[in-house]
Amino acid sequence: MEFFLQQLVNGLTLGGVYALIALGYSMVYGILKLLNFAHGDVYMVGAFAGYAVLVAFGGPTDPRIPVVVLIFAMFLAGMAASGILGVVIERFAYRPLRNAPRIAPLISAVGVSFFLQNAALLVAGARFRSYGTAKMVDPSTGLQWGPLRISIIRIVVILSAVALMVVLHLLVKRTKLGKAMRATAYDREAAAMMGIDVDRVIVATFLIGSVLAGAAGVMVGLVFSRVFHFMGFIAGLKGFTAAVIGGIGSIPGAMMGGLLIGLAEAFSAGYISSTFQNLIVFGLLIAFLLIRPRGIFGVPEPVKV
Amino acid sequence: MATLELSGLTKRFGGLLVVDSLDLTVAEGEIVSLIGPNGAGKTTVFNLISGVFAPDEGDILLDGSSIVGLPRHEIARRGVARTFQTLRVFLNMTVAENVIAAEYASGKVGAVRSFFGTPAARAEAARMRAVAEERLRFFGERLIGYRLDQPAYSLSYANRRRLEIARAMATGAGLLLLDEPAAGMNPAETQEITRLIGELRDDAGYTILVIEHDMHVVEGISDRVVALDHGVKIAEGSFEDVAADPAVIEAYLGTGGAATK
Amino acid sequence: MPEIGTDRWVAEFESRRVRREGPWGRLVDWTSRHWLGLFVVAAVVYPFVIGGDFGIRVGVNALLLAMLAIGLNVVVGYTGLLDLGYVAYYGLGAYGYAFLASEQFGIHLPTLLVVGVVALAVFGIGLVLGQPARRLVGDYLAILTLFFLQVFVELALNLDRLDLPFVDGPVSITGGPNGIAGVDPMEIFGFRFGQVRDYYFLLLVLVVFLIVGVTNLARSRTGIGWRAIREDTLAAEHMTIPSGRLKVLAYAFGAAVAAVSGTVFAAVQLGVFPQNFTVALLIVVYAALVLGGEGSVPGALVGALIIAMVPELLRTPAGARLLFYGGLAVAALTLVKPRRRLLVVVPGIVATGLAVRSLVTALWPDLVDVEAAGMVDRWVVRFVPSADVVVSVLFIVTIAVVLGIVAVRRRGAKDALVVVGVYLLVLVWENRLVEEPSITRQLLFGALLVVLMVARPHGLLGRPRVEVV
Repeated sequence: MEFFLQQLVNGLTLGGVYALIALGYSMVYGILKLLNFAHGDVYMVGAFAGYAVLVAFGGPTDPRIPVVVLIFAMFLAGMAASGILGVVIERFAYRPLRNAPRIAPLISAVGVSFFLQNAALLVAGARFRSYGTAKMVDPSTGLQWGPLRISIIRIVVILSAVALMVVLHLLVKRTKLGKAMRATAYDREAAAMMGIDVDRVIVATFLIGSVLAGAAGVMVGLVFSRVFHFMGFIAGLKGFTAAVIGGIGSIPGAMMGGLLIGLAEAFSAGYISSTFQNLIVFGLLIAFLLIRPRGIFGVPEPVKV
Repeated sequence: MATLELSGLTKRFGGLLVVDSLDLTVAEGEIVSLIGPNGAGKTTVFNLISGVFAPDEGDILLDGSSIVGLPRHEIARRGVARTFQTLRVFLNMTVAENVIAAEYASGKVGAVRSFFGTPAARAEAARMRAVAEERLRFFGERLIGYRLDQPAYSLSYANRRRLEIARAMATGAGLLLLDEPAAGMNPAETQEITRLIGELRDDAGYTILVIEHDMHVVEGISDRVVALDHGVKIAEGSFEDVAADPAVIEAYLGTGGAATK
Repeated sequence: MPEIGTDRWVAEFESRRVRREGPWGRLVDWTSRHWLGLFVVAAVVYPFVIGGDFGIRVGVNALLLAMLAIGLNVVVGYTGLLDLGYVAYYGLGAYGYAFLASEQFGIHLPTLLVVGVVALAVFGIGLVLGQPARRLVGDYLAILTLFFLQVFVELALNLDRLDLPFVDGPVSITGGPNGIAGVDPMEIFGFRFGQVRDYYFLLLVLVVFLIVGVTNLARSRTGIGWRAIREDTLAAEHMTIPSGRLKVLAYAFGAAVAAVSGTVFAAVQLGVFPQNFTVALLIVVYAALVLGGEGSVPGALVGALIIAMVPELLRTPAGARLLFYGGLAVAALTLVKPRRRLLVVVPGIVATGLAVRSLVTALWPDLVDVEAAGMVDRWVVRFVPSADVVVSVLFIVTIAVVLGIVAVRRRGAKDALVVVGVYLLVLVWENRLVEEPSITRQLLFGALLVVLMVARPHGLLGRPRVEVV
């Protein structure tokens, strides 16, 4: 039971992260019908930005500012770096291809992803970086509930993931920008004719999605403490699949899909085999793509004749 | 060559009844026009016949055997060819290739022999090109000669319509479904297409079901006219009868009562 | 960019005919008709001109890449299936060869049998794994196939400690991260492949065979059907083309081609390792295909040759410099217009360099490596190894400036950015990029894909496409 609950908490943490990544995929796909392959690498850059702030302020063992402020600054840096990067990528790699053949933006995205990975490799080297969270925050603090212990850092991560999603939900449902985003996702041309500045909406979408990915990057750094140039690839794949499982273009779907994948991963690692953990998750994802490619919340696209 | 029989054909999109128990027969060598205001379900009927959607109820018989549920290419192979209202030529292929693509079912050489370029494969490729040329010759000199190698995207609107018809003919089908063949054409081109549709039946022996908004075309070609409104057949008969039918006039123009509804 | 419905093609018919006349036009015309013959002649001469084993090895890699690109062209360029798992079939071919011709299981079958069996088996696997292509379109298929590749890599990495029933101890199938070494060299009709050169000529035969075959296919109803499916799947089906079957056929054909090249790769390398079959290789194959122009067989060939051979210059510092400064000069020539502004820009770059160098040396003398005494070092700041953070930051700034050059339209600002950008590029190049040739190469591939898609999506030899989006 204790083991089960521990895996559940693991799964929820992981799921929150995947959900944040999935949101970026889903929103961009909803509006541009573009699979933003570089999204996982945007998340990687967020993790590195957090790491850079950490190092700049003295590292985990001996921070020069209070830990709470430091973690907050790391989040800010990660989100800012990713947000800017997302907007830059849109401007230079996707916007010129708005009316290009279908395959072009995808190949461009693959190129961006590969470029970012290798740029990170060049800048940061191939070794794993660690946030060293355990040295920064005493891992024994946190909630103690019977045999189950949830460290404070996990609580922070889960809560901030939830908070970000709530903010996003309000943004999409309650603000003018959110309405414009939904209209653009529904029909870009019609939205443009109704006086919506579609370019601005697209930039905003990339910004929001990338900011969420940056936050996810810092979260992963804090909880799992492994930051490296290739981390965005697998996480991106899983994030995209989370978006697909939830029904691409659907925001609650992305959250749901993220949680599902996080839980599936935690439980297969805990109960079946950690060697084949990735394999099991990949198998699940493939099965889902095959059986229900429109996802839980997705509606089938009509055949156009 | 081909007879088509729709019985009780029904299609719903969600709660919306798009085609409502439609009965329609097209006899061999007949030209039947399907008319009706926008949204009457005309194109949906084409989509049901050619297998884009499966009907919710009813049956579609081609030469007496049902084609409901068959894959689209199989329906085409059995003898139903169509054109598209929105023009769907293969844009990045040449005029000749567009037509050759539609001859797929007539080929017998498999991929392996094609890979090795056996004499049979070469002979078949040459034959297909010859057939394509012959189909295109139906439209006079417009699409042959050096134009055979013209990429389809660079064709004018009218020529793309012609190419679509040539492509449909090349499938070897006996029944042609023409979706607004005169849409977007100028008066001269419209007259020409009217004459051509007649020739398709008279000289080439096709059975034709056509959707058309231009009443001059409908008048010029139809043996029989069927009017649809909201998925229901509201009139059938000769052009004169249907054109004078009060239900048809109401569907197109509305009445005072309909306007206040 | 061509547009729908404009009859420019007919209007330009005459001028196209005229362009084919005159000595230059006739040469281009002749080359485009005899490209295969020219390629064969050049490829046969190549090993004798280049001499040494290294050059021939580069040739082998180029031909392997050409096979991969031509196979992928059928899947992506003709049929329009974005297969991101393509490299897995290359890996399956290589591992298949290793299983049937090495000490791994003590099996040593004759080469032709192995290649035949592997090709057929992988073709079969392609038929099965290609089934989703019937229903999934575009991005969904891309992501699914990318998962196939991940599964393949995971299997290759982890099938080395397998507990099987009735067998004592863990069994290693793939050799895990260490792969399988000691793979047999090939032997065909009693001829034992001893040198790299032997494989080079074998590959040349295979590539020519494949080119002829694929060209034949492209003219057949199968090839035309493939292209029709890419243009408009629904319309193709209404034209009697069985789209599902043809898609799966294209997918499996690509897989089989990749597998055959994989067997040769295993034999040349005398071993197979999981890290040979990752996304990095996938990017290289795609870069080759889109550089040449997807949908074009000579394009795939030319793209592969360029992608495989040009970066080899990066291996030696002298070659790398040649490539880098050559590229920079070409870029400056195309970016700065009118050209006479170069009279300002070039001295500007030199002056910037001198100024920056003396400034940095004066302000932070401990960051600068004053020992360096090459010609460029008098101009460019050469940082000491401990200052690598500075270089990293400069690298990021450089990317930003280069993007700025693309974005800014005002001529004065653009030229100023060109001055700064070129200097920064040289700085980063001399301090970091030149020392990391493999990373630099991959950076370039990534950037190449983006630049190509934006500037020339049809590549060098492909035809511009028109699509209703």
